[in-house]
Amino acid sequence: MAELGAMALWIGLALSVYAALGSVLGQLRGAPALVESARRAVYVLALAMLVATLCLIGSFINRDFEVAYVAAHSNRAMPDIYTWVAFYAGNEGSLLYIALVLSAMAAIALRWAPASTRDTLPYTTAALMVIQTFFIAVMGFMANPFDRLPFIPPDGEGINPLLTHFGMFFHPPALMAGLIGISLPLSFALGALVGGKGRDEWVDAGRIWGLLVWVLLAGGLLLGSWWAYTILGWGGFWFWDPVENAAFMPWLALTAFVHSVMVQKRRGMFRMWNIVLINVAFALALYGMFMNRGGPVPSVHSFGASTLGWVFLLFLAVGVIVPFAVFFWRYGLLKSAQNLDSMLSREAAFLVNNLLLLGIAFVTLWGTVYPLFVKLGGGAEITIARPFYDQVNGPLLLALLFLMGVGPLLPWRRANWQSVRRALLLPGSAAAIVVVILLLFVTRSPFALVGFGLSALVTAGILLEWGRGMRSRHRSTGENYPLALARLLAANRPRYGGYIVHLAVVMVALGVLGGSLFEQQRDVVLAPGESYEIAGYRLTYRDTTQQTFADRTEYLSHLEVYREGELLEIMQARRSFYPSFNMASTLAAIRSTPLEDFYVVPSENRPDGAVGFRILVNPLVWWMWAAGPVLIAGTAVSLWPERRRERAAVSFPVARPAAA
Amino acid sequence: MDSAASSKLSFSRPVPLPAAFWLALLFCCLAVAPGLAYAQTPALPYDESEAQAIDRMLMCPVCPAESIDQAQVPLARQMRRQVREMLAAGAGRTEILDWFAERYGPSVLAAPPKTGRNLLAWTLPVAGVLAALLAGVLALRAMTGRNRDDAAVPAAGAVPDSDLEPYLAVVDQNLARPPGDDGQAGDSGSGARDG
Repeated sequence: MAELGAMALWIGLALSVYAALGSVLGQLRGAPALVESARRAVYVLALAMLVATLCLIGSFINRDFEVAYVAAHSNRAMPDIYTWVAFYAGNEGSLLYIALVLSAMAAIALRWAPASTRDTLPYTTAALMVIQTFFIAVMGFMANPFDRLPFIPPDGEGINPLLTHFGMFFHPPALMAGLIGISLPLSFALGALVGGKGRDEWVDAGRIWGLLVWVLLAGGLLLGSWWAYTILGWGGFWFWDPVENAAFMPWLALTAFVHSVMVQKRRGMFRMWNIVLINVAFALALYGMFMNRGGPVPSVHSFGASTLGWVFLLFLAVGVIVPFAVFFWRYGLLKSAQNLDSMLSREAAFLVNNLLLLGIAFVTLWGTVYPLFVKLGGGAEITIARPFYDQVNGPLLLALLFLMGVGPLLPWRRANWQSVRRALLLPGSAAAIVVVILLLFVTRSPFALVGFGLSALVTAGILLEWGRGMRSRHRSTGENYPLALARLLAANRPRYGGYIVHLAVVMVALGVLGGSLFEQQRDVVLAPGESYEIAGYRLTYRDTTQQTFADRTEYLSHLEVYREGELLEIMQARRSFYPSFNMASTLAAIRSTPLEDFYVVPSENRPDGAVGFRILVNPLVWWMWAAGPVLIAGTAVSLWPERRRERAAVSFPVARPAAA
Repeated sequence: MDSAASSKLSFSRPVPLPAAFWLALLFCCLAVAPGLAYAQTPALPYDESEAQAIDRMLMCPVCPAESIDQAQVPLARQMRRQVREMLAAGAGRTEILDWFAERYGPSVLAAPPKTGRNLLAWTLPVAGVLAALLAGVLALRAMTGRNRDDAAVPAAGAVPDSDLEPYLAVVDQNLARPPGDDGQAGDSGSGARDG
C-alpha cells in the first residue's frame, strides 16, 4: 500500500509541474487545448493526493510499522479512531494533508470559478500549482511519508498523548487548511494582475475563498483554545505562544481583507490595498508554517518540528517577494474607480479597522522576533510572552471592538455628525448603563469597564438595527415578526452574516474578559475526604482510582461539587502518565454554565493518595465556546449565494422606500 | 447627497427607550456575574492573587514557552513556592522579579523590564501602530481632498459605459416590479451606487 502511495505522490508532482507550465504556456502561445488540459491535470492531481492520503491512512490502520512515519506516530495500543489524528501528527503526514487540501481547493476553485476570472484563470492555476509543487517536492525529496525502515519494528512509538483529545480531530486540520487556503484568494489576485486585469474581476472569488479560509482559521483557533483549556491543565485558553501567534496573525490580516474587499466589491475602491492585504496574509501564513516546522522560537507546539526550517524560510522569502513584485509591476492598473467622499464614512472606518488589525499583527510579529534580534545582536537572551501582548495588544483589541460598534452604523460614502450622533444614541446609552452598573456593583478595573461597555455598544447597535428592519418589514409587508427578521437577514446576506459574526466576536470578548480579569484560582493538595471552599463552591475530593494500560497509567479522581450545601455535580478529573513519553496529560473536570465555569484539574498524584488540584472559577468562559457555532453560522449566511448575481453586483435604492 | 445619507440613519420612529433599557439590563446580568463570585477564601500569610500575578510574569526555565503558573514540572512548583515565601516575608513584586532574573538570567522574565535597551521592545510597536494610523488618516484625507477638487465630476462618471448597461437593465427591471417586492434590501448602504 505504501508503494501505491509513494507512486501517487510522484504522479502528483509531475501533474502539478505540468499544470503550472501548461497553463502559462498555453495562455501565452494561445493554445486553449493546452490550457484546458492543464486545468484537467489539476483535477487528476487532487485525485492522486487523495489516493496517497488513503494509502497512508490504510498503512496506519494495518499498523504497517515498516513505514517509518506509521512507526513513529502510532502503536498497537492506539484506538483506530486516532488514525485520523496520527495521519497529520508529524511533519511528513501534515505536509501530505496540506497538499491534499490545496489540491482539492484548487480543483473546486478552478471548476467553479466566477466568469469574471475566466480570462486570467491560467495564471491563477499556475500560481496555485507552483505552491502545490513546492509541497509535493518537499515531501518527495526531503520528508516522504512513505519512507521505509530497513527492518520491521514489533510496535510503534505511539501517538503524542497530548493529541488524544477530541479537539485534535479538527483543530490542526482546520488551521492547516486555513493557512494553506490563503493561497486561493492570493492566486486569484495574482492571476488577475499578471493577466492585466486591474479592476474588480478577482474580487468575488477572492472574497468567497477569503471568507472560507477565514472561518477555517477562526474555528481552528477557537478549537485550539478549547483544547488548551480542557487538556493543558492550567485553566487558561490562550497565552500568546509563538505558534498560536503564527496562526493568529494571518487570521488578523484576513479579517482586514474580508472587510476591505467589501469596499472594493461595493465601491470599487481600495484596489491596491486589497492586493497588499492578501499578500501580507499569505506572507504571514508562510511565516506560520515556517515557525511550525523548525522555527527558531521555542513553543509548546513542537509536534511538526523538523529540520526543514531553511526550506520553509526560503519559500517564505519567495512567497513574499514574488507577489509584491507582481504588485509593483502592475501598480499602474490599480486605480480606484471612485474617490473617498468623506472621512466620516463606512469606507474610512473600514480602513482604520484594517490598520488596527494589521497593527495587532505587527505587535505580535514584533514580540516573536524581537528576542531573536536581541540574541543576534549579541545581547542577553530575553523572553517576550503573555504580559507583553496583554499590555500592548489589549488596548488595540478594545479599540477594534469600538470600531466594530461604530463602523456598521456609518453609511457608505458620507455621514454627517448629526446622523451619527442619532444612530449612536441608543447603543451608547446601553453601553453607559452597563458601565455605571458595573462601576457601582462589580469592579473598577478599567479594562473590564471599557470591554463590557463596548460589548454592550456593539450588541445594542446590531440588535437595534435588526429590530428596526424587522419592524419596518412587518409594517410594509405584513409579515409576522420572525418571518420579517428571517427575510431581512436573507435580503442582504453579506451584511447580516457579518453582523452575526460580530455577535460571535462579542461572545468571545465576553469569555476573554471574564476568564482573564475575574478568574479565581487556587492550587491545593487534598487528601481523600477533604474539602476546599472557593467562590461559594465547596469541592470534596473522594478518592482516586488507578488503572494501568499498555502505554499509560490513568488516575481518575472522583470529586463532588456543592453550592450552599447542595450537591451540584459529581465530576471526574483525569491525569494520565505516559512512561514512554515521560509526559503526563490531564483532562479537567469542568462544570460549565453561561455564568461561570467551575474547573478542577489534578496536577500531581502523591503516593499517599493525596492529590494536588488546581481549582478555578472562570466567569463567562462558556460564551467563548458557544461563539464557535454562531461564527460559522454567520459566515455561512454571508457566503450563501444570492439568487441572482447581477443583483449582488449592482444594488441601488430605486425600489426602496425612504424610511429604511 | 448629504440629506440622502442622513435620511437613511434617521428612523421614522426610534425604538422606544424601554427596549434599549432591557437590552442593556440583559447585558448587565451577564457582566455582573463575575462580581457575584467574590467570596474570600481562607486567610493566607500573603496575597494569593498577587502571587499568581507574579507567577505569570516568570517563565519556567526548563519548559518551552510556559510560565511557572502553567508549567507542571517540579521546578515550576518549587519556584511558585519561592514566590509565596518571599511575599510572606514582605518582599514586593519588583524585588521578587529581580531576584529571579538574577538567579536564572533575564530570560526568566516573561516580558523584559521597561528600561534601557529593552524599552525599544515596548515603544517601537506602539509607535509603529500610531504611525500607521496617522498615515492612514493622512491618506484618507488626501483621497477626500482630491475628490473635492473635481467635485463637478459625478462619482458614477468613473463607471465606463459598457459597465452601465447591465446596471440600467436591472434598474428597469426593478422599476417594473411592484413595490414591496424583495428588491428593498433594507441595506442602508445600498445608496452607494446612486449619483
